[in-house]
Amino acid sequence: MKITAARCAGACLLAAHLAAAAAGFIAPYDYARQHRDFPYAPPTGLHLVDPQGEFHLIPFVYGRRPAANGRGYVEVRSERYPLRFFATGDDYRLLGLFRTSRHLVSVESPGRLFLMGTDGLGRDLFSRLVHGGRVSLFAGLFGASIALALGCAVGVLSGFYGGRLDRLLMRTTEVFMALPWLYLLIAARALQPLDTPPHRAFLTVVLILGCFGWPRPARLIRGVALTARGREYVQAARGFGASSLYLLSRHVLPQTASVAWTQGALLVPQFILAEVGLSFLGVGISQPLPSWGNMLGELQRFHVLASGWWWMLYPGVALVLVILAYHALARGATVAPE
Amino acid sequence: MPHLPRTLRSLALLATLTTLGCGQPPAERQALPEPATGRQSGVPGGRLVAALRAAPGTLNPLLTIDRPAQTLSYLTSADLIRINRSTQRTEPALAESWAASEDGTRYTLRLRPGVRFSDGEPFDADDVVFSFRLHLDPEVGSPHRALLTVRGEPIRVERIDSHTVAFELAAPYAAGERIFDSVAIVPAHRLSESHALGTLPSVWELDGTTEPIPGLGPFVVTSYRPGEALILERNPHYWKTDESGQPLPYVDEVVLLLVASEDAQAIRFQNGEIDVVSDLSAENYSALEAAAAGRYVLEDLGAGLGYDFVFFNLNDLSGAGLPAVTARQKWFRQRDFRHAVSEAIDRDAIRRLVYHGRATIVGGPVTDGNRLWRNEAIVPAPRSLEGARARLAAAGFSWNADGRLRDAWGAPVEFTIITNSSNTQRLEMAAIVQEDLRQLGISVQVVPLEFQTMVERLLVSHDYDACLLGLGSGDVDPNSAMSVWLSSGGSHLWAPGQASPATAWEAEIDSLMTAQLAELDPVARKRQYDRVQEILAAELPLIPLVSPNVLAGARRGLRNFRPAVLEPTALWNVDELFWAAGAKNLD
Amino acid sequence: MRFCLRRLTHSAALLAGVSLLTFLLAELAPGDYLSRLRLDPEIPEETVDLMTERLGLDRSPVARYFYWLGSLARLELGFSYQTGAPVASLVTRAARNTLWLTGLATLFAWGLALPLGIWAAERRGRLSAALSDAASSLLLAVPDVLLALVLLLVALRTGWFPTGGMASLDFDDAGPLGKLADLARHAFLPTLALVLATLPTLFRHVQASFADVLGSPFLRAVRGAGIPRRRRLLRYALPAAANPLISLFGLSIASLLSASLLIEVVMSWPGIGPLMLRAVLEQDVYVVLGVVMASTCLLLIGNLVADLLLYALDPRIRREPG
Repeated sequence: MKITAARCAGACLLAAHLAAAAAGFIAPYDYARQHRDFPYAPPTGLHLVDPQGEFHLIPFVYGRRPAANGRGYVEVRSERYPLRFFATGDDYRLLGLFRTSRHLVSVESPGRLFLMGTDGLGRDLFSRLVHGGRVSLFAGLFGASIALALGCAVGVLSGFYGGRLDRLLMRTTEVFMALPWLYLLIAARALQPLDTPPHRAFLTVVLILGCFGWPRPARLIRGVALTARGREYVQAARGFGASSLYLLSRHVLPQTASVAWTQGALLVPQFILAEVGLSFLGVGISQPLPSWGNMLGELQRFHVLASGWWWMLYPGVALVLVILAYHALARGATVAPE
Repeated sequence: MPHLPRTLRSLALLATLTTLGCGQPPAERQALPEPATGRQSGVPGGRLVAALRAAPGTLNPLLTIDRPAQTLSYLTSADLIRINRSTQRTEPALAESWAASEDGTRYTLRLRPGVRFSDGEPFDADDVVFSFRLHLDPEVGSPHRALLTVRGEPIRVERIDSHTVAFELAAPYAAGERIFDSVAIVPAHRLSESHALGTLPSVWELDGTTEPIPGLGPFVVTSYRPGEALILERNPHYWKTDESGQPLPYVDEVVLLLVASEDAQAIRFQNGEIDVVSDLSAENYSALEAAAAGRYVLEDLGAGLGYDFVFFNLNDLSGAGLPAVTARQKWFRQRDFRHAVSEAIDRDAIRRLVYHGRATIVGGPVTDGNRLWRNEAIVPAPRSLEGARARLAAAGFSWNADGRLRDAWGAPVEFTIITNSSNTQRLEMAAIVQEDLRQLGISVQVVPLEFQTMVERLLVSHDYDACLLGLGSGDVDPNSAMSVWLSSGGSHLWAPGQASPATAWEAEIDSLMTAQLAELDPVARKRQYDRVQEILAAELPLIPLVSPNVLAGARRGLRNFRPAVLEPTALWNVDELFWAAGAKNLD
Repeated sequence: MRFCLRRLTHSAALLAGVSLLTFLLAELAPGDYLSRLRLDPEIPEETVDLMTERLGLDRSPVARYFYWLGSLARLELGFSYQTGAPVASLVTRAARNTLWLTGLATLFAWGLALPLGIWAAERRGRLSAALSDAASSLLLAVPDVLLALVLLLVALRTGWFPTGGMASLDFDDAGPLGKLADLARHAFLPTLALVLATLPTLFRHVQASFADVLGSPFLRAVRGAGIPRRRRLLRYALPAAANPLISLFGLSIASLLSASLLIEVVMSWPGIGPLMLRAVLEQDVYVVLGVVMASTCLLLIGNLVADLLLYALDPRIRREPG
């Protein structure tokens, strides 16, 4: 049961990460493209039946004009723009490699396809959500990997060798748990050259998050390593003259694998949430680059909360789904390692 | 360097900018009666809740450096001559009349008789002499000291009799008696001892336990809840009365809640927890308007004195070890490049999208809100991508096959714009500029930075290409912008603190600004400042974008609410505000 | 006794290390508290210079750190660059507000998690347990920022609750009952957000520990002996399931000052969160140090409480030497 759930969750996560990786292709527009005549536009409705009652196999959208009173928009039913697939649009690099301008789905200009509406500069929210996922999801994955790698290394060493090294390392974890890493983020951002591309600046943020996230996994894994060291067959192997390296790689590390995987699956959402929290407070990923955190942070602005609150729930829902999936994965990992 | 009295200060960082006083021509030197338009005689009683962004750094009216402290000082102390925030002219305050000598170097002020401090002690010339001594004492650290120093010599104060004081300036000062605005008068009977003992700073410490120091303003601070609120009570001895002789202020209590962000202030205003707001952003103004339902009134006061702009790094970087920036400076230093950038920017999109239409496009640093000093001949150039391209082509730039701009040496034109990440409007403007310049083939990267980090780069390391910032002004008078326009000034943003002006046009601005400082003929002074504006428009060291409107709101039932462009926008006439019968605070 | 002494030296070393590193980090960030004033065209340079001297920003970082250590001895913990007030008084006040919020929330969260967790553990495999499991999973996946925002929206839409602060202005004049009602009205939404944010974790741990214990041969024997349910749960299952829960309780205590940071910021609660955020952004270094010290102390206290409880409750630990 849990394993099936975990498999489903794994598949969903894989799909989500792929979609985020190929954000440029999935999104109809570039995340920074400003449709300046369409600020705060509500989602475009997809239709199958036109005003004459005729059915169309390919969904279409209607044209739009700003309303005469300056508030909102009116649909122009006489203009129909069917969805186009694999048509050309804004340039992007697919998976950061090939330059292309094909998009999964779009409509012909001057029609606009805003599946989730637009923000105050007329930027397509769906495109921003997908691109923001790239930031948030990979922040989680990358940050968790760093934290886990560091945590494993420290935990295993500490648990296996024990004694002074153990005490020293464990004290260090305590110090790290107490430090205000907000500062380090600010300092790191300030020390980078300004022409650092945004994605590299973002990697630095994640790197720092990762460097501060290792103490907890380290302590858990230390516990496991400690038990493993005490096992009779490990003691026996040592008695037969096995080297420390051999013992570590053959007996101790495999023991920690299951805990490590579970921890990994639990760490990823924590790092996603760390990114969200930081960007929300305005010290993480900053506009114009979208992330789920800074999209959610828009809700702190009174006018969004008062009149457009719903459009910022998209990153909220996306976050909840992704975190649910990771938790399901973690439970699957506890039941069955691998 | 004397500047104008700053009633209010605005810094480049908060979303909204501030402003003050209107430079009336120096010829009008006598107090003008304030037009009594629409003022109502009020009902006493009730409580008024307003908000501050942060706790004031001090309750000491001698040390009003941050904005909250200035607002507080406005509510709790009085000055000799005040700039009326609505008419923007000077009016009598503690001095009931004054006269200036022919050469403009001596002012004789006649003090109002019968005025008492909030503890009931009488006020006289000794308090004035004492207060100015404190303001001028470098050990006290009053920010007014520099303002009260004309041509290197501190203003001299002389007691003529118990209610007459004379001030002697080393040189004529063009802005005249506006110099007295906001120079708070403090009680000699309470403070002379602590001044002598050197314990003055601790007298006003903001720790929630201090006894209130008597003041001459309409209110007295009675308690402080750290992180939450300051509570002020009516000063029973306040010297002003309304036309029917009723003592002012009307309201019994003013509460200043500490609410950190403009958004949180708007939320609490809509929820009925705050009675007056100022510094509203245009988006929040629109949202409040949509939800109004008759619970409050909102006022759009039109263009303020603040404006947003982009500027390039024109510092002399020789020896700074910044080869990349130095290389890009050969574009930034070209006037045509700056003009091309300016022409490519869609200012109307900024006005519409960032400020929801509540802003004015500006062509220079003197905004529409400053009608007296604006050079009408300077109009914002319309957006023209073709014009921008033509300028660039003429300057030797070219475009490669995929439309990217190259300079005369074939290098791609790319640069970064920094701005402070805490200001959403600026981030949005930067995104618009980025997109506009992309259409010109320039690849721009927006780099949001924490404020302190940004300042460090602007003023210390000079490691940046371009910056998007906003600046407010303490006064409409040109003197308030002295340190921005003088090449030696600390706020001469594009190249601060130069030993000698780097360019001929900066040298010309320097001499014009210095000359206007002592120019007593208003027409000649206006001509000088017009020329400064012409030079700035021609050279574009700051590329002006828009000037946001000043927006404020109050709960329905608050009478005499007449917000002004000058700070404190909504509270400048706090002594006249009152609640209509039946309004919530009287029930 | 030796245990206590060792613990004390460790704690002091930890606090020293944390304070030093925090101070270094703060030094690493460019600019200082006065940067803002330096850019202001209307603040004369001499004023900024005087402030620099007054705040001691012209002194070397080493000198400032030692100044801070000295003021630590006077229990002031330095002063706030912004208001000049001693950091100790700022932090105690903010910490009091935060603890009032988090303490209440922790109380409620544990009060709900224990019975709910036991109830769900007893009904393993039944539909009701599956439902509560699904609900807690969902809640676990909702970020606390989102919870806080949704509740803020509720406050704004209905007007039933204040949208910030922790007491009305008339608080001081109200009677004891009025005071309580007022506090409750202000604390309701933030507490709710915090309870909802912490409940699922606690619930799951309680459920897991009890499920383990209830399934053990020991408890099956107890059940077989016909001991009534209440006694069975309280006298036998609870002590057996307590170990992991006590560690968790220690964590709860350790996070009393930090758990509500985002919620406090969103809901304008005058606690540690807004204080810390503002201090970091403004580089009000001593305030940051003060807050970090306070939360580190709480971390140590949390660990200590957990260890002492374990020591008191678990005979096996008592027998171990040292």
